[in-house]
Amino acid sequence: MPKITIAQNILAANDTIAQDIQQLLTSREIRTINLMSSPGAGKTTLLERTIELLRGKLDIGVIEGDIETGTDAERIEAAGAETVQINTRGACHLEAHMIRDALAEINLAKIRLLFVENIGNLVCPASWKLGEDIRIVMASTTEGDEKPAKYPQMFAVSQVMIVNKIDLLPYVDYEIEKVRKQALEINPNLRIFEVSCRTGEGLDAWCEWLIAFAYGKTYERLVVSE
Amino acid sequence: MHELAIAQSIVEAVEDKAAECNAARVKGVRLQIGEASGVVTDSLTFCFEMLASLDPILEGAQLFIDTLPHRAYCRHCASEFRIKNFVAQCPACKEWTNEIVSGTEMQVVEMEFE
Repeated sequence: MPKITIAQNILAANDTIAQDIQQLLTSREIRTINLMSSPGAGKTTLLERTIELLRGKLDIGVIEGDIETGTDAERIEAAGAETVQINTRGACHLEAHMIRDALAEINLAKIRLLFVENIGNLVCPASWKLGEDIRIVMASTTEGDEKPAKYPQMFAVSQVMIVNKIDLLPYVDYEIEKVRKQALEINPNLRIFEVSCRTGEGLDAWCEWLIAFAYGKTYERLVVSE
Repeated sequence: MHELAIAQSIVEAVEDKAAECNAARVKGVRLQIGEASGVVTDSLTFCFEMLASLDPILEGAQLFIDTLPHRAYCRHCASEFRIKNFVAQCPACKEWTNEIVSGTEMQVVEMEFE
């Protein structure tokens, strides 16, 4: 029986679209972040606070991924950013073609930094490139403190980790030192921010870093690893 | 649950190749899946068989999966080692500076057809 070599990455079709997206955005001098976490870690709240704090300093656009509803996009729009909502109708992750379609609805001339808020899920989004420059994984103190060890791929493919809800540390059994250690064992180059989107603690350092990232100063050190 | 989307991508890649080769039936498909790729191979096989059963060219096709270990090359002591649970520390010199050698693959390698 004849055999033929295929030698093709299974997600090649997705990766090709992702590359096109990255080229388009880079040519427009837009930096792109794929923001991932489990449901409820605070991705949308982080974006709301970030947009408020950087108003007038950095023009931000957001592609909001959710399985259903447009409520997150409404929150982001109210905070004052260019926003497009994607509803995956059941799919557990965003794919590059969804981003390509969403970009057609964003005025790229108006933005310098684009966030793609992925579906709340610490498993599937790790496998799909979306044309981002970097990936950020978010954890929060109301989840268990073994997330990096339990979902290592997500922490391995990210360049930045944000731990949210640190204002609740006195009330929850969350050993933040353990989380830091686990995450750095999986990914020694991970940049870590510890914040509370509720009190604002830690957000100044995050925003400062974000401005440097958007204007290219920290970009070279943070190329997405294959 | 993303194994269904991955199986769909495999079926599409194989269908393209089958059309290119004028294949009447695809009998087997070989994959390389790295152990750190996040793919659950049992689920992937289940999803592939389900999709193949709905496709006249792929019906009954068998999926063969070669699993590749998660390995790294240590830049500090130049040894190669197996990464366990994603913890990328060199067991020989205890350093953390290394390059991934294998384990993240998701490849369609070849197909058998008639």
